[in-house]
Amino acid sequence: MTGGTAAVAVTVGTGTLHAETEGPRIPSAAVGLLYDATVCIGCKACVAACAEANGETPDTRGDSLHQAPTDLNDLTRNIIKLYKPTDGTPASFVKRQCMHCLDPACAAGCPFQALHKDLESGIVYWTADKCIGCRYCTITCPYHVPRFQWVGYNPRVTKCELCSHRLAQGLKPGCTSVCPTGAVIFGPRTVLLTEGKRRIKETPGRYYKDKVYGETDNGGTQSLYLSRVPFDDLGLPELGEESVPEKTLRWQRRFYQYFALPALLYAGLVQVIRKSVKGHVEEAHEHEKETGLRAQL
Amino acid sequence: MSAITTSQFKTEDRWERAVPVFGFPVVTRFFLVLMALTLVALVLTGYRELAGLGPVSGMNDAFGWGIWKTFNVMVLTALGSGAFAVGIAAWVFRRKKLHALMRMALLTSFLAYASGLLLLGIDAGRPWNFYWIVFPWKWNMHSPLAEVAICMSIYAMIPLAVENLPPVLERLWYFDSRLRPGVEKMEKHLHSVFPYVIALAYLLPGMHQSSLGALMLLAGERVHPLWQSPFLPLLYVWAACFMSFGCVAGCTMLCCLVWKRAMDMDVLDEAARITCGLIYGWAALRLLDIAFREQLGTAFHFDRFAGVFWLEMLMIVGGGYLLQRSVRTHERDKMFMGYVLSSVGGMIYRFSPTTLAFRPNPQALYFPATIEVLVSLGFIAMGVAGFLFAVKKFAILPGPLYLWHDMASYFRFRRPYIRWTGYFKYGFFGEDEELTNNPHE
Repeated sequence: MTGGTAAVAVTVGTGTLHAETEGPRIPSAAVGLLYDATVCIGCKACVAACAEANGETPDTRGDSLHQAPTDLNDLTRNIIKLYKPTDGTPASFVKRQCMHCLDPACAAGCPFQALHKDLESGIVYWTADKCIGCRYCTITCPYHVPRFQWVGYNPRVTKCELCSHRLAQGLKPGCTSVCPTGAVIFGPRTVLLTEGKRRIKETPGRYYKDKVYGETDNGGTQSLYLSRVPFDDLGLPELGEESVPEKTLRWQRRFYQYFALPALLYAGLVQVIRKSVKGHVEEAHEHEKETGLRAQL
Repeated sequence: MSAITTSQFKTEDRWERAVPVFGFPVVTRFFLVLMALTLVALVLTGYRELAGLGPVSGMNDAFGWGIWKTFNVMVLTALGSGAFAVGIAAWVFRRKKLHALMRMALLTSFLAYASGLLLLGIDAGRPWNFYWIVFPWKWNMHSPLAEVAICMSIYAMIPLAVENLPPVLERLWYFDSRLRPGVEKMEKHLHSVFPYVIALAYLLPGMHQSSLGALMLLAGERVHPLWQSPFLPLLYVWAACFMSFGCVAGCTMLCCLVWKRAMDMDVLDEAARITCGLIYGWAALRLLDIAFREQLGTAFHFDRFAGVFWLEMLMIVGGGYLLQRSVRTHERDKMFMGYVLSSVGGMIYRFSPTTLAFRPNPQALYFPATIEVLVSLGFIAMGVAGFLFAVKKFAILPGPLYLWHDMASYFRFRRPYIRWTGYFKYGFFGEDEELTNNPHE
């Protein structure tokens, strides 16, 4: 929402969008994750630590023995996946969790702001009291992160909230506190971005396109990625520099800005229809006199 | 078939008055089947509320939306946009002949929206949180889904319900002469607010029918490029227009066949002409849009997306061609087939972006579960049952003037007691002058 409000601030008169030059607003104390896929050894310690930190029961639904979820789901906010092409090109692990976009599509679509971006930390939170369970977030998120609980009368939406309860205690998120190789680290977004760029500078050619995914992608995200293989293969699509809501809802937002156009349309309709109704009633009463049957309107 | 195709149109067959379907019982075997389906759906709904969505539906993490949303709401409210599309043609563009179809349009719209909204409440995982709808400052004003949810409920509950009042008031007027002064007073108030209500009844559906298309804009490239387009909202509301014309005119034709009424080809030709224009315009816009986005090549790939695309386009444009031809030759069966083809094609179009052309990931599959289909069917059955009840009890279906007099004599013959109870005084306008305060005298 906050990114949205900034993005749709239309300059009255010229009709230009600020967003075209500025991009979404970056929260003052934006925190995030930096995941370096080239360092990750795929031990999945973060998957177990995440479930533990969030008080979830381990997802053992696969073989009722091991905590081995196949994807993000209603018990899994964080997962390690392996991308292994068959043509012999390099393989890579990838850690998937909420990207905490600067202009989140899930929050842009959420009807009653159950998903909202914190103004300071930039964490995208889910509020149970406002969620109607429409599952629109599972459709809009370009990274397919929020997951709906399919069983039970009181379903929840599950997504990473950067262990905000641990942050409040001065602890780091569960995943970063156990990572043995430092593949995922936690910190302010600016620091992580500098660190990512430093790594790229130190070892040129090691990283795909020498780029930190999330710096500008989808309008910028707070979870940043470094990888050897193309990001698209890791489930991080190339979305361009404009955020998804900004790109797709531009005209929608302009149309509903201040509700001005709909109000104008309504006023015009009333004028036209008033005249039509008057004529129609007169005709109906004439017809009534002709036929001797009560007018139907 | 010859009874349908011949076009010996006589002037006395002109539709001049809405007449209830008289002489047919409401409770028939078909009606009981519909009620049974509804009952089954309601029981299954109770189970769904306890068990959650997973056990009763084929929905999964990849396909978060099933047929309750994508068919019962996205598709059937498009068919039920008659009050919007036919209404705009009649009231805003002053196609006066279409007023004969307005009551059918209003009724089908109300039933489609009511059944869709009920199912939307059942589809929601946490429906108790819907109460936020009464706090406008909690709305996410830029969310297409908020727009749909809020706008649709307001539309069905206020303007559409008010627009459907006249047949009900009329029935009360004929029901008992003692009610007439009160009814006439209410009608007077109603007519004074009508322009504002009707205007709202065109603004709101225009907004939410387009927002239904805008819903899928946020899904980005996961919707196949033949469907995903910045023009999706416009194409959606436009498709709703020709589909609802098809639904209203097609249903009216079907009712005329079933209950053996004369068809007013002047009105039907007018509707067919407008529908045909809408269809050609829509198809042109869609093809131009695809061409300008340089996605025309994907229509010639040998895959299911291209198949669905051509199926849609052929059905819709083929239906449009049949309508165009039927206006020229007055072939009623061609006209009916034209409406069916174009509406079903439109239904597939409205269904595709959320389901047939939605590709969350290569492995993802969705097929509705049995319970899901039964509930969906049950809510449709509820609407159909409501329609059958309404056309038999209220003056909804248009008919020629003589049909009204036929009905009056039918009731005088079949129910002689109505003469002295004041019940059903059809055809006896102003009979009890001393009891009524008739302003039209």
